[in-house]
Amino acid sequence: MESSDEKTVEKCRVHLRPGTLHDAALATLHLLPCEVLVSGPAPVERFFTPAMRQGPDGLEVSFRGRGLRGEEVVVPPGLVGYVMAMEEKGEMLVGKDFSEDSWNDEREEQELAEPPEALERDFDQFIGATASFSRFTLWGLETIPGPDAKVRGALTWPSLAAAIHAQVPED
Amino acid sequence: MDLSELDRDSTGRCRLSSPVPAVCRKEPCVLGVDEAGRGPVLGPMVYAICYCPLSRLADLEALKVADSKTLSESERDRLFVKIEEDGDFVGWALDVLSPNLISTSMLGRVKYNLNSLSHDTATGLVQYALDQGVKVAQVFVDTVGPPETYQERLQERFPGIEVTVKAKADALYPVVSAASICAKVARDQAVKNWHFVETLQDLDADYGSGYPNDPKTKAWLRKHVEPVFGFPQFVRFSWRTAQSILEKEAEGVLWEDSATGHQEGPGRIMSYFSKGPQTHPHLPHRYFQERGLESATTL
Amino acid sequence: MDCGDRARARQHVFLLPEYLKDASKKMKSGLLFVKLVNPCSGEGTIYLFNMCLQQLFEIKVFKEKHHSWFINQSVQSGGLLHFATPMDPLFLLLHYLRKADKEGTFQPLDQVVVDDMFPNCILLLKLPDLEKLLRHVTEEKEIDKKKYYKYSKEKTIKWLEKKVRQTVSALKTNNINVSARVQAATFFFGDPVSSDKEEDYIRYAHGLISDYIPKELSDDLSKYLKLPEPSASLPNPPSKKVKLSDEPVEAKEDYTKFNRKDLKTEKKNSKMTAAQKALAKVDKSGMKSIDSFFGTKNKKVGKI
Repeated sequence: MESSDEKTVEKCRVHLRPGTLHDAALATLHLLPCEVLVSGPAPVERFFTPAMRQGPDGLEVSFRGRGLRGEEVVVPPGLVGYVMAMEEKGEMLVGKDFSEDSWNDEREEQELAEPPEALERDFDQFIGATASFSRFTLWGLETIPGPDAKVRGALTWPSLAAAIHAQVPED
Repeated sequence: MDLSELDRDSTGRCRLSSPVPAVCRKEPCVLGVDEAGRGPVLGPMVYAICYCPLSRLADLEALKVADSKTLSESERDRLFVKIEEDGDFVGWALDVLSPNLISTSMLGRVKYNLNSLSHDTATGLVQYALDQGVKVAQVFVDTVGPPETYQERLQERFPGIEVTVKAKADALYPVVSAASICAKVARDQAVKNWHFVETLQDLDADYGSGYPNDPKTKAWLRKHVEPVFGFPQFVRFSWRTAQSILEKEAEGVLWEDSATGHQEGPGRIMSYFSKGPQTHPHLPHRYFQERGLESATTL
Repeated sequence: MDCGDRARARQHVFLLPEYLKDASKKMKSGLLFVKLVNPCSGEGTIYLFNMCLQQLFEIKVFKEKHHSWFINQSVQSGGLLHFATPMDPLFLLLHYLRKADKEGTFQPLDQVVVDDMFPNCILLLKLPDLEKLLRHVTEEKEIDKKKYYKYSKEKTIKWLEKKVRQTVSALKTNNINVSARVQAATFFFGDPVSSDKEEDYIRYAHGLISDYIPKELSDDLSKYLKLPEPSASLPNPPSKKVKLSDEPVEAKEDYTKFNRKDLKTEKKNSKMTAAQKALAKVDKSGMKSIDSFFGTKNKKVGKI
């Protein structure tokens, strides 16, 4: 059915720089109830933050003329929030050919034998934490997202995952 | 006029009023309602009431109040001072509706249009006068929309009061003229001293009349577009002028109730499903679906 | 296709276990994201290895329509939130053990865990205590101090049952609502809705575990757990098909990412509601440039 020459090999590794995890400065995050169709710099501090108000039942602000209601969400205990970004370095190697079988075999054997440094190959990519967070502001369109917000449900995943993936007792 | 409350927070609405003249609590009064700044794409809309005892109506007319639109700004300011000086028999109150309040109301999930907002504000002010003990006997209201239904509704709301809703009431009834002066003075002052919520760089204060057809206003809007945030809250986002500038010059934003760009779904999926419900791709367990979670396949 | 400027500008919002932060102090490297085969869907899925703690993490992503992040002085479209949670590597190893079992012989692990498509699977061999783990799902032989393994379905099912049991108790302590959904409840016309609460928990836990194993094994496990055939008790409501075609709006997902084999073999009609719900959820129309970094260095493979 699928011949191997029609599929692509997923050999890339993206190395997370460990040092960035404890250097990362705290960031302010807002999760908005709309899709902004662009990513990049935005003067949040000049336009958004000063318009925030503490209303009788939660935070209030407006964005693009629409009213938002918000609340603080604390990252569940045992977890840390990070903002990560890819490093540009690996870019240069796009298109480099690694097709010789012998090279692959040799390399894989080396990896098995060597310390973690060998985990990095020259075609790998790097990602690093640029900021950390322990809370964020969750905004709803005109209503407070509340306990039924999907993202709040998602935040309960790590505790269930721990149970699913815990080792089972031996017989 | 002391608009310091508005300066402190220009994101909502604020109410200002004169002390209630003692005589207005004793004698039947006539009350006028008018608005300023309904049309502009910039700044707040102000609703005002002005009232005096029926017995002193001639004294109010003697002030030579007239439709605020026919007066110069300095004449309006002068007349407002006179109204204040006659505070022993003339009272006023006003609501300043911030452009942010107007935008968020009109762009709400449940649209709250400008007419409803206006009517509710006017009704609120009449009720406020009643709550303050003013013996309101007659109400005159200026209107831009059809007066009949508006009059009906107000009359129903205030059965004990004789209500007259009329186009150009501000030119016909001195008490409405007086209200229009209060409203216009407040609006002008609010716009002139607008306290921008945002920290803006190179703010250009020359925004013309604020009316959408004023080239100066349009140029100002174009100049102050921020690609992500759109405009400062000084702008009424709900105005077509503002929206069309945003469509062209700002980044797209999709809300769950936006009705745009969903027409061209790939037919492939539909044809797949129309083969029958017996076949479907693997989907995550409902635990994950209910929480918007899926396995990451990209970084 | 590569990670161009837009991709590079993208910021990824993650929640990581706190201990990774502490462990990272002593590390210079050894935290790596790789793509491996998802043991349930068969598609490439991202996992995180911590080679110092010798631990595997699964990456789930919260993805709901109409979200964006403000991160300090920037905006990030999509509003994704990634979760890295520890994962039992046995689920991934099972995929290879079952594949190797087709040859019917005992094999050393390094011959079992090989993958042309996902060569990073060899990282799994570096995880600790594999011998102990493998005992749950294989028969083993030792020849000249080298271990040889053979997949055992019987042992695997027993292991999975234990997984279900421990998941059931976690569902209870986490107060997860496992009862048949309101939407689904209407289809139980004659049947009394869930007379046995415990059965709901088991079915739910079975469903969760099934997200980590192939369909075939999931069906076997279902039989072993004596769960009633869901398709028998849930007649397919025709109204849903109508509803689906009413909403072409939502059908924007690229289904090529799903395993095509599943398309043909899947037959649990009880899941149609879920299917439709998910259809609505996985819309990626707003996500402009989600080209995977993992796709960037790909090349067409000749014969290997």
